[in-house]
Amino acid sequence: MAPLQKRALYSFVIGLVLTIVLIVVLVAQGDITAFERDLKLRLVMYAVLIGVPLIYLILVNLTLRKPTQLDERDRRIIERSSWAQWLAVIFTLVAWTIALTEIYRDQGQVPIAFLKLIFMSTLIIGTLAQSLGILVGYWEMNRNG
Amino acid sequence: MGRIKNRIRRLRFDHGEMTQEELANRAGCTRQTIIALEQNRYVPSIELAFRVAKAFGVPLEEVFQCENDK
Repeated sequence: MAPLQKRALYSFVIGLVLTIVLIVVLVAQGDITAFERDLKLRLVMYAVLIGVPLIYLILVNLTLRKPTQLDERDRRIIERSSWAQWLAVIFTLVAWTIALTEIYRDQGQVPIAFLKLIFMSTLIIGTLAQSLGILVGYWEMNRNG
Repeated sequence: MGRIKNRIRRLRFDHGEMTQEELANRAGCTRQTIIALEQNRYVPSIELAFRVAKAFGVPLEEVFQCENDK
């Protein structure tokens, strides 16, 4: 398994775990505004919001810097996977926009907690889509060349 | 356009059973790319093709051939 392929698999698993944790926390809280009122939860959320992109940057820029870790074939797969990532992010934002507009149309305002939730979900979906794109890219390249 | 074939496996054998890892280090790519090249599942860029040929110390056409060239 190529180094990038391994990292994509780890990212995919971490993304899935984060998604499940987020859903479980939201279900346990029962209400999105209660989620916003809990200080501990807010701090955890901020840590995750800052931590995930930082870890991503460190993983990509430091560990995959050597040519023996990441070469032209891997870069071609990353370029292809960006397309999947872009589509996933756009569709996530479209889904949020439509859902929140329709649910909160009468109130004329959206609870502030959704800002973090939108960012969090977009970050997770973006990571999941890129990881999946990379894994599919390797699978396709191994199959078709 | 013809299919690009290569003699990497043969050349490794001729160079004292050079390992895929060693060739990858010399050519500046991953071992997985060498595996993909040997199995004709990946067509390299001109730059990588030249680096692989340089790693063996032979001209490019001794490593890579287009099937239509025959």
